[in-house]
Amino acid sequence: MRRRILITGGTSGIGLELANDLSKRHDVMVTGSRPRQDIAEPLSQNLIYVQASQTDPESATQIIAEALLKAGWTRLDNVVLNAGVGHAATDGLDEIDKIRASLDVNLLSTILIARALFPWLQKTHGTLTIIGSVTHNGQGLFPAYAASKGALHGFARALRSEWAGRVSVQILHPGPTHTGMHAKAGHDPGRIAALFLKPSAMARMIEQAMKSKRSPMRLSWAKFIVGGSILGRRL
Amino acid sequence: MKQRALVTGGSAGLGKALCKALIEQGFEVTSIDRNAPEANAHITFLPCDLADRQSVDALLNRLGEKPPFDIVIFNAGISATGKFEEISPQAHMRVIRINAEAPMVLTAGLMASGKIAQGGHIAFVSSLSHFTGYPGAASYAASKDALAIYANSIRKIFYKRHRIKVTTAFPGPLKTDHAARHAPEGTSADKRMEANAAAALILADIFKGKPKALPGTSARLFAILGKIAPKPMTLAMRKIIYEKLDKTVAD
Repeated sequence: MRRRILITGGTSGIGLELANDLSKRHDVMVTGSRPRQDIAEPLSQNLIYVQASQTDPESATQIIAEALLKAGWTRLDNVVLNAGVGHAATDGLDEIDKIRASLDVNLLSTILIARALFPWLQKTHGTLTIIGSVTHNGQGLFPAYAASKGALHGFARALRSEWAGRVSVQILHPGPTHTGMHAKAGHDPGRIAALFLKPSAMARMIEQAMKSKRSPMRLSWAKFIVGGSILGRRL
Repeated sequence: MKQRALVTGGSAGLGKALCKALIEQGFEVTSIDRNAPEANAHITFLPCDLADRQSVDALLNRLGEKPPFDIVIFNAGISATGKFEEISPQAHMRVIRINAEAPMVLTAGLMASGKIAQGGHIAFVSSLSHFTGYPGAASYAASKDALAIYANSIRKIFYKRHRIKVTTAFPGPLKTDHAARHAPEGTSADKRMEANAAAALILADIFKGKPKALPGTSARLFAILGKIAPKPMTLAMRKIIYEKLDKTVAD
């Protein structure tokens, strides 16, 4: 079955890998914060790209809804709310504008977009996948980021129960991955970076998790070394 | 010199009870709220809508002129209950801004300007829903989880650098106007805890420097059950609350 899939934050890192791979077999729309011409990453030609910066959650939500209508999409089989930003803190102290940005992009946008896309997902009994983080129980290097991901965990847990039987809601917690995120966050992970997973491996684990609809799931080394990126059914 | 306390949402409910208990213990209290508290010689009132970023920035400037606080309690909170998709985007946004963003911004801002005394206390009032799911209040649950995880993130480093102890309080349903507004129709308030009793237990845990304050035996039991069996507990919450909700309530 050919699916209609929306992925936020699909122009870099894990989102990009996931979008490019899924677009080989499905119809995929991705969002990003940059104008199309500024995206140097290899974005598949099959994708529909929508510029919707989540630093303004209300406008991002509106832009996405309008783009779906413009493309003539009246249903969605999968939505992956993946867009996220993180910033390194000093001695546990985040800068104030970074706290606000982390909550706007990671949390509030996810809440508002999920709410707006409910009618699209309900039509197909679709799956809403929210990308969390293994830091969702707390992390002193990125307190505001960890808080936003911890909030997504609780949000997904409540919404999964509310929408049961109508839309499957799941939260996935990826472990450290070789994306541009640590550099963008202003944090050098040091030698531990040798243990980070490849974005392609993480994207494969996410795809299989989407197929399984299970929640919550932790996607990290422990899962990878037992074949998490090759076993299991693809979407 | 008298010890100084800062409490957000000090005009009603648990916040009012916390202010009262702090005054009884000899504190000078600064309370931040939208509405003025009952007049008291030991309360300085600073009005602020914590959902408004400019107001929060202005508040930080005003607090910057004051001496440091020995204890800061982030208690202010609102809820939005009902079916998630039927609650307005604005209501969800206010929940996140007031419950999660304002405490995090005020913590970072006060710490950066040295307005929380070395060896002092910071407390965040989260919710017992942190230990289960909370269908019927998804954005509220998210905001309270944000607080609990923020506290987890800063606890070690704040103690190491400043000897400041960070406590997260997880109260269950209280006998307050707020809880009554958000509970399903016909729910009895008899089993809810008195705000004064909860405030006393929470303050005791804060002063002991405990990382977690779970006021009361039933709260503790609920938290344990939630840890052991999160999915059945979320299902129970769905049956007890979500399936009985017949309206949406914000604020």
